[in-house]
Amino acid sequence: MSSITIENINSKAELKRKTAKPLLWIGIVSIIMFFSGWTSAVIVSKGGAPDWLNINLPLAFTYSTVIIVISSLLFHFGLIAIKKDNKNLLKILVLLTLICGISFVVSQFLGWKSLYNNGIVATGSESTNASSYLYLITAFHVLHLLAGIISLIVVSVKSFLGKYNSTNFLGVELSLIYWHFLGALWIYLFFFLKYIA
Amino acid sequence: MAIIITVVVLLVVVTGVQILKIAELRAISQGEKIYEVTEKESKSQAYLLLMFLVYYFGFFAWQVYQWGDKMLPVSASEHGVGIDSLMTVTMSFIIPVFIITHILLFWFAFKYSYSSKRKATFFSHSNKLEMIWTIIPSLALTVLILYGLSNWNKIMTPVAENEEHVLIELVGQQFSWGARYAGEDGKLGRANVNYIEGTNFIGIDASDANSNDDVVVKGEFHLPVNVPVQFVMRSNDVMHSAFMPHFRAQMNCVPGLKTQFNFVPTITTKEMKEITGNEDFEYILLCNKICGAAHYNMQMNIVVESKEDYEKWIASQKTFAAK
Amino acid sequence: MSTHHHHQEDFLFKYIFSTDHKMIAKQFMITGFIMGFIGMIMSTLFRLQLGWPGESFWLIDTLMGSWAENGVMAPDKYLSLVTMHGTIMVFFLLTAGLSGTFSNLLIPLQIGARDMASGFLNMLSYWFFFLSSIIMLISLGVEGGAASAGWTIYPPLSALPQAIPGSGLGMTLWLVAMSIFIVSSLLGSLNYIVTILNLRTKGMSMTRLPLTIWAFLLTAIIGVLSFPVLLAAALLLVFDRSFGTSFYLSDIYIGGQVLEHTGGSPILFEHLFWFLGHPEVYIVLLPALGITSEIISTMSRKPIFGYRAMIGSMMAIAFLSFLVWGHHMFVTGMNPFLGAVFTFTTLLIAIPSAVKVFNYLTTLWKGNIIYSPAALFSIGLVSTFISGGVTGLVLGDSALDINVHDTYFVIGHFHIVMGLSAVFGMYAGVYHWFPKMFGRMMNNKLGNLHFWVTIVSTYGVFFPMHFLGLAGVPRRYYTNSEFPLFDNLVDINELISMFAIIAALGQLLFLFNFLYSALRGPKAPKNPWRANSLEWTTPVEHIHGNWYGDIPEVHRWPYDYSKVDENGDYVGGEDFIPQTTPLGENENDGGH
Repeated sequence: MSSITIENINSKAELKRKTAKPLLWIGIVSIIMFFSGWTSAVIVSKGGAPDWLNINLPLAFTYSTVIIVISSLLFHFGLIAIKKDNKNLLKILVLLTLICGISFVVSQFLGWKSLYNNGIVATGSESTNASSYLYLITAFHVLHLLAGIISLIVVSVKSFLGKYNSTNFLGVELSLIYWHFLGALWIYLFFFLKYIA
Repeated sequence: MAIIITVVVLLVVVTGVQILKIAELRAISQGEKIYEVTEKESKSQAYLLLMFLVYYFGFFAWQVYQWGDKMLPVSASEHGVGIDSLMTVTMSFIIPVFIITHILLFWFAFKYSYSSKRKATFFSHSNKLEMIWTIIPSLALTVLILYGLSNWNKIMTPVAENEEHVLIELVGQQFSWGARYAGEDGKLGRANVNYIEGTNFIGIDASDANSNDDVVVKGEFHLPVNVPVQFVMRSNDVMHSAFMPHFRAQMNCVPGLKTQFNFVPTITTKEMKEITGNEDFEYILLCNKICGAAHYNMQMNIVVESKEDYEKWIASQKTFAAK
Repeated sequence: MSTHHHHQEDFLFKYIFSTDHKMIAKQFMITGFIMGFIGMIMSTLFRLQLGWPGESFWLIDTLMGSWAENGVMAPDKYLSLVTMHGTIMVFFLLTAGLSGTFSNLLIPLQIGARDMASGFLNMLSYWFFFLSSIIMLISLGVEGGAASAGWTIYPPLSALPQAIPGSGLGMTLWLVAMSIFIVSSLLGSLNYIVTILNLRTKGMSMTRLPLTIWAFLLTAIIGVLSFPVLLAAALLLVFDRSFGTSFYLSDIYIGGQVLEHTGGSPILFEHLFWFLGHPEVYIVLLPALGITSEIISTMSRKPIFGYRAMIGSMMAIAFLSFLVWGHHMFVTGMNPFLGAVFTFTTLLIAIPSAVKVFNYLTTLWKGNIIYSPAALFSIGLVSTFISGGVTGLVLGDSALDINVHDTYFVIGHFHIVMGLSAVFGMYAGVYHWFPKMFGRMMNNKLGNLHFWVTIVSTYGVFFPMHFLGLAGVPRRYYTNSEFPLFDNLVDINELISMFAIIAALGQLLFLFNFLYSALRGPKAPKNPWRANSLEWTTPVEHIHGNWYGDIPEVHRWPYDYSKVDENGDYVGGEDFIPQTTPLGENENDGGH
């Protein structure tokens, strides 16, 4: 984060340009702390439980991982496109990203379904802490992802309305940063749940 | 009652407003800027600050004088003596710090109160001074930390298995304590909340052979003097904390977890009655972790007695199997 | 008709849904004060019970109704009161009320910005806080009573309605209110950090920031890092309470049956809670220290001594605050080695704290101190910071903590070092910046009287508590009269309660002064304290955007008080040089 000293802020657009990204970044920091709270909790709980259940993650979660990586790449190319003023390519790429995002959610649901079918449940007397954490952490990731999907919808609508061009793409950038973050967060959570929890 | 209070409050407010208005009008008529703090005002506050210093130290001394003998008596356990001397060392460090810094604070506050004849000294930093008051506290703290930790490690080391000791399990539940002695085999039988039934309120597993000679008591438990006591703490419901202030001993009781603490009692109840000059003195086990409505009344008496008396007492208690 | 409509809209957006940081600051302050007064009344009620256990009081009868039959409160309702008192004071008064008020008011004004980075998020932050306050107050009236597990809400007590009635709906509302509060706090902190880092006016380098701003910045950073963890902890508790998980629960027999929960650990909650809980102490304290640094320098007409060391020590405190949470858990059966580590890190905090104290003392030394009420409260803060701070060396030492843990010694310690210091800092701030907020001056004489009543009575409340602690009296006891052990301590408890009543009445002086001055106080000049920082260059009346015309440029640090040239004359002819004054020729900028 650059510590630009500015003379004057005259317009709202100017203000937004200077502050939107740092606001988003710090927001991301707090989300990171939230999830590190839970992943640390997993480690503490596991340390205190000799009979910790090691759960094999369903295949669907692996698919999800692939999907979210692809979506991040697509969206990234979208940003490059709009920087070159290629508005049509942005439209296509954002829509593809959105489709990937929704498929990710669907894939997560399939993952939970297969867990459930294997008798691994989130709550109640049949559950263990390992399974509760698994559902909780993945579910809260999806909750955060829904915010990302809303921002993708906004970006795609705006791109179809032609609001973005090579000089005005802050909205795309913000959405992209958050989307990349969600991808990175999922990859972290995936490997954490697979190998540590 | 409510009406009277409302009327009184209203009267006070109205009077207050009038007084302030009059004071302000008077000040304006005398050409003062009412928002400004005058030199005289500043000076009188400075005197008050100095008087406050005297009052504050006086209040402190009065409390020590008045209540000094109401503090806990001399430690009744071996490690507690270490804690008490650590406390003395810490206190003899922090009380002088408290006194000196307060004298400096209020003396400066008094001496350098505003005078239109004087200029404040522009003095914005000095690496030397700042080094001094980084290093001196660091050194003092090093001493305190090292001394403290050597005590801590000693206290936290459990009694060795092969050493002669008494093994007692303390179980907290809303709102009473139970104590279980390991009995002759020196082993506590398995216990879990699932076995709680009727009088078996601490959930001993009867199928475990180690349980048979366990002795469970309520209301009061006994300790032999000068024999190490190893405590294991458990809780049946919410968190409790087994606090035995006279022995400088405390450990939380956590449901689903076993915690432990150990000490060597060194003064019998009878001797302590003489030391405190209080015929009714009893050692006590208190709950010191908020545990519900009657948290304030969750207690158990402790009796420390000679080894012979203790053995007589324990022999008179029924074992778990006999019950 | 249309003008009328326009006027209404104006009112709504000016006073209610304002995005102007100055208005939001006032909203935070007034909501915080209302909560603070409620918290104070609660403390008066339970002090009545502790001072004269079992006696009937008209006040208790009137305010508590069915919770106190015949004017004597029920034991579990006593616990409700202490829980809500703690929650309200720590979070609603001293987090939102203190940092929310002054961060909002001072950040844009002192760094030279038109407003916060995002006025909308700022407004949202206030409204979340407001909503959270309302829910917290509603929880006082629900069946079973408000949350009663202590402000630290340790499970299983907080998780099981069977364990205490307050853990039913009251606890649910507590958790809802706190979750909303956390969102509010995060939105605020985001804004503060970004505003400070990105919207400083020309010339306002980081080493020219007033120490208030540094304090707010570090506070906001601590908040962003620690509050999410509390949210994470609270959510796990919500799931345990309502959805049948067992993160914190295991092996519990209550109400005649064994619960299904297995495998969890209450200790996990303590770890997560105190990972926020300890930094929270500094979220409360740092703004107060920042405020006093500014006021002590201004009112003693001297630069703050050791500006860089002050920043360094605040940074050290902020950093260490994340490494010390375990000192709340010495007697939970934690690994003794960990206990040793936490003792070490905890006692380390004494070093930056000592540096701050000595720097305050040196700032006063050879000053020319003008005693406004703000200056008095600042001196009071230094005193409480020392008096409460030194006993931290007792509590932070794991071996000593064994016998004073959770006793009144702790209550005395943290009420003085954190409660009083933060409250004094807050009062100092209100007296000092009142003219900036309301364009009027507060009455100094009444302010002085308020200070004297407050410092004498609050020390009278909290100092004797150390003695109770050393006598072994546990905290959160409904009465101390159940043990022969504590029978000889009755007079201490009575004395404390009497001082508590005086302290509470003394705050009415402030309330009266505040209301009177806001409405009818004398009009304030632009720079009543003859201070250097930028906020005093703004017009007395509030305008959106803070400055007419361009934002002023900054040429020096804010602490050029009583600067003299080689002839011994004041540079610029006055004993203060506003930050907007360019450096003179040959003038030494002191490295800023």
